[in-house]
Amino acid sequence: MSEIAFFGAVEIGLVYALVALGVFLSFRVLDFPDLTVDGSFPLGAAVAATLIVAGANPWLATLAAVLAGAGAGLVTAVLNLRFHILHLLASILTMIALFSINLRIMGRPNVAIIMQDTVLTPFAGLGLPDHLLRPLLVLVFVVVTVLLLAWFLSTESGLAMRATGVNPRMARAQGIDTGRQVGLGIALSNGLVGLAGALFAQTNGFADVTTGMGTIVVGLAAVIVGETVLPLKGMVWALTACVAGSILYRLAVQFALSADAIGLQASDLNLVTAVLVAVALILPRLKARRKARRAAA
Amino acid sequence: MIEVKDLHVTFNPGTPLEKPALRGISVTIPEGQFVTVIGSNGAGKSTFLGALAGDVLADGGSIAIDGTNVTRWSTPRRAGLVARVFQDPLAGSCATLTIEENMALAAARGRRRGLAPALSHDRRHLFRDRIAALGLGLENRLGDRMGLLSGGQRQAVSLVMAALSGSKILLLDEHTAALDPGTAEFVLHLTRRVVDDNGLTALMVTHSMRQALDYGHRTLMLHEGRIALDVAGEERAGLDVPHLLALFARQRGGEDITDDALLIG
Repeated sequence: MSEIAFFGAVEIGLVYALVALGVFLSFRVLDFPDLTVDGSFPLGAAVAATLIVAGANPWLATLAAVLAGAGAGLVTAVLNLRFHILHLLASILTMIALFSINLRIMGRPNVAIIMQDTVLTPFAGLGLPDHLLRPLLVLVFVVVTVLLLAWFLSTESGLAMRATGVNPRMARAQGIDTGRQVGLGIALSNGLVGLAGALFAQTNGFADVTTGMGTIVVGLAAVIVGETVLPLKGMVWALTACVAGSILYRLAVQFALSADAIGLQASDLNLVTAVLVAVALILPRLKARRKARRAAA
Repeated sequence: MIEVKDLHVTFNPGTPLEKPALRGISVTIPEGQFVTVIGSNGAGKSTFLGALAGDVLADGGSIAIDGTNVTRWSTPRRAGLVARVFQDPLAGSCATLTIEENMALAAARGRRRGLAPALSHDRRHLFRDRIAALGLGLENRLGDRMGLLSGGQRQAVSLVMAALSGSKILLLDEHTAALDPGTAEFVLHLTRRVVDDNGLTALMVTHSMRQALDYGHRTLMLHEGRIALDVAGEERAGLDVPHLLALFARQRGGEDITDDALLIG
């Protein structure tokens, strides 16, 4: 693997670390399987790219992408909480609706911003080569997000959100409006994914309506790989594990694709991801079963 | 003070599974009174507690707590007034959160939750003192996950949590039923202490007639969604389990209930 390929994998791993943090919030903290992210990732990219092309400040465009993602999350939460549509189905409905909405926002399937000013532009003159500068700037976003998220989850509000995911009945008995917590959490989760989409568009120079496919699986893969590699207690560690998992996952994929002996092509990516996540989900069960059998014998 | 007037609850109304669970309960419980509630399976004991807590909404009648009509209030809204301990030790706390995190959740009951740290230095201090008073040695394990505790320990911590935020009413739904006899005894004594120390108005559902008479000031017996017996004071002091059974049998129209093992235990 060349140096450029290596840092390319780290960069994309860091962008998707924000997705992993969002998925951690919905799947792990709230116990709410939310597939909206497949739509909110390209939504973030579409909003940011369209606004940047229209001449908006890239920072404002990025903020708008975060808000758009949060709005998409709220739609899923309302479908589930107010209208009692199953969470999984509610999120799929939002996801496919977003495909059309993203096309409407961009007006075409693909918008290039390679020639435009982005949040990265002001730092281009610092003398670092591009392939190091980009991952470094994304890393700053990721570190700030991890710290903010860890802080939030340790506040009274954050604790209420965690209790909602663990034991909603107890949470309600302690005066927590569990519906509000789910809405807030899913909005926050998709806001992070919208941010990831916005950064993806700006680091890669384009927004494309198809980039969302499989986002949820990649995010989940990062969370699971992180939990396997860094099985430590404490919220900061759990969040750091998501980031580490995302980078490791990308490096593993990059390695698999660049090793000619295995004979994989870039188009095999989704298959590799699906197999990886399936194995990561099956292994702990097999291990537990073997342990139980050994204990019984 | 709790004032319940002609409370009706029906499950699955308008369907073939329609089942009247409470059919006109009226009772006034003055502040500081400890009431035990008994009755056979399906008598409506848990539904009654659920209706007081807000889990079950009444379809007739009214509930007032300290003069405020709370009949249409949701569970979270009532939580500032009412603390609860559940039958299942797993139900009343968050297993994957630590003891101190669970206590922080309870300490904020009935208040707006903001962005202040859930575990401040002062709070940790308070939690440690309260847990140390249990005499279980848990004060050195505040950072342990709740799931690591035994059922009895969890119920004991739940009782401490119930008294943390100053609610005046405590609802106990067979909170010792899942424990072994020795632990149940310990938790019952602790219950009495928590209720007395904090001057709480308490309702305790139990399957044991013995417990119903030994604890508290007043005993209600429910039958088919109505109050079949309401004894307090000297009348109650003179009762023992056989008397109670006989009274109950008369209320049910002479029907023999000695086979009802659940009631006699």
